[in-house]
Amino acid sequence: MGDTELEISPAQLEELQKSPSASSTSTTSSLSLPSSPSSGPRPSSSPSTSEGLPTSSPPLDVISEGVGEPILVIDTEVAKKACQEVLQKVKFLKADGEVSSASSEPVLVNGTSHPESTNGRKPPKISEEEAEPLKNVRCRQKNNSSKQSLLLRLFESKLFDISMAISYLYNSKEPGVQAYIGNRLFSFRNEDVDFYLPQLLNMYIHMDEDVGDAIKPYVVHRCRQSISFSLQCAWLLGAYSSDMHISTQRHSRGTKLRKLILSDELKPSSQRIRREMPQPPPSCPPPLHHCQGMSGHSLSPSKRTHQRSKSDATLSISLSSNLKRTASNPKVEACQDEPVRLTPQREFIKSLMGIGKRLATLPTKEQKTQRLISELSLLNHKLPARVWLSTAAFDHHVVRVPHTQAVVLNSKDKAPYLIYVEVLECENFETSSVPVRIPETRIRSTRSVENLPDCGITPDQRASSFSTVPNYDNDDEAWSVDDIGELQVEFPEIHTNSCDNISQFSVDSITSQESKEPIFIAAGDIRRRLSEQLAHTPTTFKRDPEDPSAVALKEPWEEKVRRIREGSPYGHLPYWRLLSVIVKCGDDLRQELLAYQVLKQLQIIWEQERVPLWIKPYKILVISSDSGMIEPVVNAVSIHQVKKQSQLSLLDYFRQEHGDFNTEEFLTAQRNFVQSCAGYCLICYLLQVKDRHNGNILLDSEGHIIHIDFGFILSSSPRNLGFETSAFKLTSEFVDVMGGLDGDMFNYYKMLMLQGLIAARKHMEKVIQIVEIMHQGSQLPCFHGSSTIRNLKERFHMNLTEEQLQVLVEQMVDGSMRSITTKLYDGFQYLTNGIM
Amino acid sequence: MSQTEKRAGLLRRTSSSKKPLKEKVVLMYEDIFAKEEPTKSNPRFWDELFLMKVNLEYLEGKLESLDGDEVLRVKDNINSLFQHCVQALAEEHQIKVVNALQTLCALFRGVHQKNRSATGFDIINMLMGFDKAELRMKELMESLDALLCGDGSQSLKSLCLKLLLCLVTVTDNISQNTILEYVMINSIFEAILQILSDVSSRAQHGYDAVVLLALLVNYRKYESVNPYIVKLSIVDDEPTLDGMGRVIHHALAEYNRQYKEKEEENQGGFFSTLTSMVGSMFIADADEKLSVQTNEAILLALYEAVHLNRNFITVLAQSHPEIDIATTPAVPVPASPLTPLGTTPPSLDMMNNPELPLDPNLQTSNLLITFLKYSSIVMQDTKDEHRLNSARLCLIILTCIAEDQYADAFLHDDNMNFRVNLHRMPMRHRKKAADKSNPSRPLVCAVLDLMVEFIVTHMMKEFPMDLYVRCVQIIHKLICYQKKCRVRMHYTWRELWSALINLLKFLLSNETILLSKHNIFQLALQVVNLFNMFITYGDTFLPTPSSYDELYYEIIRMHQVFDNLYCMVLRVSTNAGQWKEPASKVTHALVNVRAIINHFNPKIESYAAVNHISQLSEDQVLEVVRTNYDTLTLKLQDGLDQFERYSEQPREAGFFKELVRSISLNVRKNVSLSTMSQDVLLKEFSSIS
Repeated sequence: MGDTELEISPAQLEELQKSPSASSTSTTSSLSLPSSPSSGPRPSSSPSTSEGLPTSSPPLDVISEGVGEPILVIDTEVAKKACQEVLQKVKFLKADGEVSSASSEPVLVNGTSHPESTNGRKPPKISEEEAEPLKNVRCRQKNNSSKQSLLLRLFESKLFDISMAISYLYNSKEPGVQAYIGNRLFSFRNEDVDFYLPQLLNMYIHMDEDVGDAIKPYVVHRCRQSISFSLQCAWLLGAYSSDMHISTQRHSRGTKLRKLILSDELKPSSQRIRREMPQPPPSCPPPLHHCQGMSGHSLSPSKRTHQRSKSDATLSISLSSNLKRTASNPKVEACQDEPVRLTPQREFIKSLMGIGKRLATLPTKEQKTQRLISELSLLNHKLPARVWLSTAAFDHHVVRVPHTQAVVLNSKDKAPYLIYVEVLECENFETSSVPVRIPETRIRSTRSVENLPDCGITPDQRASSFSTVPNYDNDDEAWSVDDIGELQVEFPEIHTNSCDNISQFSVDSITSQESKEPIFIAAGDIRRRLSEQLAHTPTTFKRDPEDPSAVALKEPWEEKVRRIREGSPYGHLPYWRLLSVIVKCGDDLRQELLAYQVLKQLQIIWEQERVPLWIKPYKILVISSDSGMIEPVVNAVSIHQVKKQSQLSLLDYFRQEHGDFNTEEFLTAQRNFVQSCAGYCLICYLLQVKDRHNGNILLDSEGHIIHIDFGFILSSSPRNLGFETSAFKLTSEFVDVMGGLDGDMFNYYKMLMLQGLIAARKHMEKVIQIVEIMHQGSQLPCFHGSSTIRNLKERFHMNLTEEQLQVLVEQMVDGSMRSITTKLYDGFQYLTNGIM
Repeated sequence: MSQTEKRAGLLRRTSSSKKPLKEKVVLMYEDIFAKEEPTKSNPRFWDELFLMKVNLEYLEGKLESLDGDEVLRVKDNINSLFQHCVQALAEEHQIKVVNALQTLCALFRGVHQKNRSATGFDIINMLMGFDKAELRMKELMESLDALLCGDGSQSLKSLCLKLLLCLVTVTDNISQNTILEYVMINSIFEAILQILSDVSSRAQHGYDAVVLLALLVNYRKYESVNPYIVKLSIVDDEPTLDGMGRVIHHALAEYNRQYKEKEEENQGGFFSTLTSMVGSMFIADADEKLSVQTNEAILLALYEAVHLNRNFITVLAQSHPEIDIATTPAVPVPASPLTPLGTTPPSLDMMNNPELPLDPNLQTSNLLITFLKYSSIVMQDTKDEHRLNSARLCLIILTCIAEDQYADAFLHDDNMNFRVNLHRMPMRHRKKAADKSNPSRPLVCAVLDLMVEFIVTHMMKEFPMDLYVRCVQIIHKLICYQKKCRVRMHYTWRELWSALINLLKFLLSNETILLSKHNIFQLALQVVNLFNMFITYGDTFLPTPSSYDELYYEIIRMHQVFDNLYCMVLRVSTNAGQWKEPASKVTHALVNVRAIINHFNPKIESYAAVNHISQLSEDQVLEVVRTNYDTLTLKLQDGLDQFERYSEQPREAGFFKELVRSISLNVRKNVSLSTMSQDVLLKEFSSIS
C-alpha cells in the first residue's frame, strides 16, 4: 500500500484537515477503529484547555517572540514559504502511512494547544539561536512563492503529530523545514515529545548544524522549565556523546549543551514571574497543604525543621556537619532550591551508583546484600530530600529507602540491585516543600493508628484521627521512661484486624480474660490452623543466599506495599507510595532504552489496531553510557527462578499457581500467557532479540511472560556463537502451557502473531524511525554492520500478501519449535551460568 | 619561662628518692596556704602562677593535710585560687588554660580527699565560698563548654573532659557529689553531643564523652529531675546518636578483639589444650588468663541510651564495617593519655569514615551484633563480681531491646541476615567451634542462641537466679512479639525446648540447696509458661506443622521431668509455708503439659504393644502424635502472652547505684592528668602561639 499513495493531493489534505473522521473512509481497514482506548480521554481535555486561553492562536504564532526581542520573530509567512518550497522535493513515501494512522487520533487538535497553555504562561521565548536559520529562511523566501503549500498545510494540519515531526526533522535537508519543525515542537504536548527525546538529542549531537539549531531552543526552553527534563537531557547527551572520538567529543555541541545544563544556568526564566504571582508561593503551593498539615501534626515542626531543611539543601555535604548546637536558622528552607536546583538529585543518583560500584568488588551475594543494606541505611540519613525517581509517573519526593528490602540481583560480574523507595506524592517536586523527616522509630506511634479496625476510612478521616494521636515530641511525654505501646493495650486492636486468615482462637484468648469460665480447645485445631495458615499464605520461594532476589520478587506487590507501609514511619501519610527501581552500574542501557521505545511504539500500534497482544515495556533511565536505572516489572519472577524453586514443569507450575485446567483462573492465565507469548515472539523476531535463556524471561502472577534484558538485539548476538538461529524462543514447555500443538490456544497464538505482524507492518515507519535515528553516530553493538536498518525493514515483509505472511508465521513457529539451537542454548546457559 | 620549666623538669626527675627541693611553683603554693593574700607581696602572683607547670602531687597533698583550723584560715586564698583558675580558662594563652585546668582538678580532688566525711556544702564553701559558688561554677561550666565546642586544641578538649570526669568521680557515690548540682544547672550536654556528632572529635574524645554522659545521667537519678536524663531521652539527631553508637561499638568491638587475641594465644599452648580437656570445672582458671577487663562504663552508656532514648534503637541496627578483623591495633581505650595527644589512632580513622571502606574482607556488622558477641564473652563466666554485673547489665539491655517494637521488627527482619559468631564456652561434652559455618540468619536467632547458651552453661551451685529469670523473660518477650505479629522464624526451637527442660531438671535435682536462697518456683513457672505459649499459640508463630509435632515429641520424651516437677510442686503447695502460693501456681500452669503426657503416653504404649516394638523410633512417636491430636483437649490459660514491662525503679535501682559506684572508682583510677606530658603540650602550643 505504500506504493499506492505516493502523494497527497491538496484536496485530500484539506479534507483530512477538516474532518479526520471522513478521511478514514478512504483508507484501509485500520481506520475503521477511530476510538482506540489510548486516545479516548485526550480529545475531551485538549480542546477545552486551548479554547479558554488567549494564547490559542494558529500554530505558527506560537513562535512569536517575547517582548523586547522583536527582530528575532520568525515570520510566519517566511516559514510558510520556506516549507512550501521544499514541499515538492520531499518524498511522501512514508507520509501516507502516518497520515492515515494519525487521522484516527483526534489528539491532533493539540495543534493549537501548546504546552504552555496548561500553565497559563506566555508563549515561550526563542533565544538568539534562531537568528541563523532565520537568515536562511529569508534567503529562500524569494523564489518559492509559487509552490503549493501542501507541505505546510500538512504541517499545520491536525494530523501532524510528533512522530511525523521527528521524521521530517530527520529526513528533510531543508533548514527552513527543520527550523519550522523546531518551532513546531513547542506546540506538542510535553509527554509526546519526551518519548522522542533520545531521538531529538541524538540528532542534536550527531547531525548537522541546522538540525541542531532547530532543536536547541526547544530543549533549552524545556530545561528552564523543569529540573527533571534538564537532568534527563544532560544524562542522555552524555550517554549519546560517548561514542564520539574523545577529541571531538570535548568540543561537540552535545557536550557543550550538557555543560550548560549542568552548570545550572538554565534557571526558569519564569521564576520571577512565578514569584510575583500571589497564587502559588514557590515554597508551599496550596494543594499540598493537607499533606504538610499531616506531617505538621505528627511532629512538632519547631523542633525538627531546621535540621531537615539543612540536609535537604545540602545533600552532598557530609552528615557530620549537620548538627549545630544552636538551632540553625529555620529560614534556610525559603531560599534553598535556587542555588542547588540540580544538585540533590545528582548526588542521590551518584550515591546509588557509588553503591553499585562498591558492591561489585565484593565476592559473594551474601556480602553484597549485607553491604547494600548497610549502605542504604546510611543513605536514609540524608532523606527526605528533593529527589525523585524519574521512572515514576507522578511527581513525588523520596522520603525513605526501606533498606532491608533491597536485594542484589543475579548477575555474574556486575552488581545490579533492586531497591524499593518510599515516596510522598506531591503536586510538583520542584515547588512543593520537601516532607519533614520522621525518625525510624516513630512507626510505633503510627502502627496502632494504621491498624484501627475500620480500614475503609477516607484519608480525611484518617488525617483527623491521626492528629488526635498523642504528639510524641511533647517533651514531658516523650522522655517518660515507660515506653509507649504497652503490649496489653495494643493487643485487642491488633487482633481484631490483623489479617483475614486470623485464627478464631486468638480472638478467644481475649474474651477468655473477661469470662471466668475456663475455655477448652482441641489440640487438633491448633495443629490444623497451623497447617492451614501455612497453606493459605501464597506460595513463597525459599530463601537462597545465592539468589536473594527470588524471594523478594515472588512476594506479591500489594503484599509488599502493605508490609513496607506498616513498617514505615511515613506509612500513615495519605500520599505515601511505594516505588521500586533497579540500579544498574557498569551496564550500558542505551540499547534497553531503544528496545523500550520500540516496544512502546508497537504496544501503541497494537492497541490502536486492536490486536490483543500483550507486552510490557518497562521504563529505562539512561544516566551515562555505563549506568542507569530500570523500572522493575512487579509481581514477576524469572522462569529460571520458577523452575529452580518449584522444581515443576511450567505447566504444573501454572496449575499450582492458578488452579487446574478448566478453572477460570487457569484459563485466564493461559490466555494471558498466549497473548504475551505471541507479542514477545514478534518482538524477538522483529528486533532479533537474542540471549533468550530462562533467566531473561519473566513470568508474572497473571501468567504473562515478559522478556527482559535487551542487551543483544538487531545486529548483535552473544559471543557470536551462532546459537539461537530460530526466529524466537518457543520451547515445548511453552507449547504445553498453551495446551499443546493441536489446541485452540495454539492456533489462537499463531493467529495473534499474524495479526500483530500485519498491524506492525502497517505502521512500520514509526518503528523504523525510532531505530534509524538512533543509528546516527552510534557505536552500539546492535548497530554493528551496515545492514541493520535494511534487515529490520525486511523483517516487516512489506512485499508479502497476508496469505504469504500467514505461511511465514507458520514457518517461523515451526522452525522455532524444532529448533535444536534453542535447546542447545538453554543447555549452554545451564552449563556456563547455571540457569535452568 | 623556659628556664624555669627546665629546672622544674630536672628537679622532678630526682625528686623520687630525696626530699624535693622547692621549685618555684611550690613556693607559690606555699604563699597560697599562708594566711596572707598572695598578691600583697607580688601583684602579678596569679599571672605568674598559671605560667608554672602544675605540681599536682604537692597541691593535692597540701590540701589533704590541712586540718580544720588551717582550712578556715586559708579558705579565702583557696577561693581566690579557684576564682583565678576559672578566669584563666578564658585566657588566650593556652599554657595558662592547661595549667588552670590541672589546678582545678587538683583542687577538686584534694578537697574531697581531705573531707571524705564532710558534707557537700562544706566542700563547696571551701572551694568557692557559698556566696560565690553559683557564679563561679557558672563561669567554669561556660568556659568548659566554650573550650569543648570551640575550634581550639584537641588536647585542651581532652583535658576539659578529664577535668569533668575527675569532678564527676571525686565521690564514691555520685549522688553525694553536691557540686554536680551546678553541672546540672549549667548543662554541658550540648557540648558532649557536639563532640559525638563530629567525626574527628568523636574519634579522640568520644570515649570520655560517652562515659561522662553515662555518669552524669546517673546523678541523683531516682531522687530528682536530672536534666541530662531528660535531654538524652529526646535527642533525635541521627548523626549524633550514630556517633554515640559508634563509640560504644568501637569499645565493645575492641574488647571482643582483645579477647579473641588472648584466646588464640592460649590455644597454642599445651596447658590450655589440657585444661579445656579437663572439663568445665577448671575452665575458670584458664579463663582467668583470658579475662580482659570488662568495660562497665561503656555498657552503662549503652544501657542508658537504649533505655532512655527510643531513637537510639535504630542505631543498634546501623551497619558498620567489622573492626574485629582489622589488623591495626586499636587504641586501648581507657588509657588514652598514653597515646600521643593530637594524633588519631589508625583504627579510629576507619570507624569514622562515613563512607564504608572498600575492603571486601570486611564483614559488615552493627552495634547489636557486636553487643551480642560481647555478651556471649561476658556471660561465659559470672563468678567474678564485675563480670556478674556486666552479664546482668547485658541481659537488662537485651530485655529493653526485646521490649522495643522497632528493635523487634529488625531482629525479625527476614531480609537482614547476619552471621553472628557467638563465643561458646568450651565444654567437655560438646565439640568446640563446630558451628564455624553457621548460616546467615535474622538477628533474633542469635539472641535466642545466646539465651540458650546461657541456660545450658550456668547450671551451677552458685546459681545466678536473677540472670536466669531475665534470660527466660527475654525469650518470652521475643515469642510474644512473634505471636503478635505472626512472625514464623525458622529457628531450631528444639534446642530451646531441651535447654528449658534441662533447666527444670536442674532445679528439681538441686531443690533443697536452691530453695534456701531463691524462689525457684518463679523461674519454673516462667519456663512452664513458655511451653504453654508453644502449646496453645504455636499455630501463630511456629514455622511448620511438623515443628508443632516435635514440641509434643520433646515433651513426651522428657515426660519424667514434668512428672517430677508436678510431684514436687504438688508436695510444696499442699504444705503450708512461704512457697505454698508460688508452687500452686506452677501446678496450675502444668495442666496442659500433663494433659499431653497423659494423653499420648498410653497411645504410644498401645502402639508399641500392637506393633510389638519395644522402643519406638522418633518417626513412629511422631506418627502417633499426629494421629491422636483430635482427642486431646487443652485448657486455655490467661495472660500467657502478656508480660511485665521492664522498669528500672524500684527493682533495679540498687544494682545501678552499686554499678555506678564501681564505675566511678574505676574511672577515677584511670583518669590521670599527671600523666599528661607537659612536653607534648608545649610542643603543640609553641606552634600555635
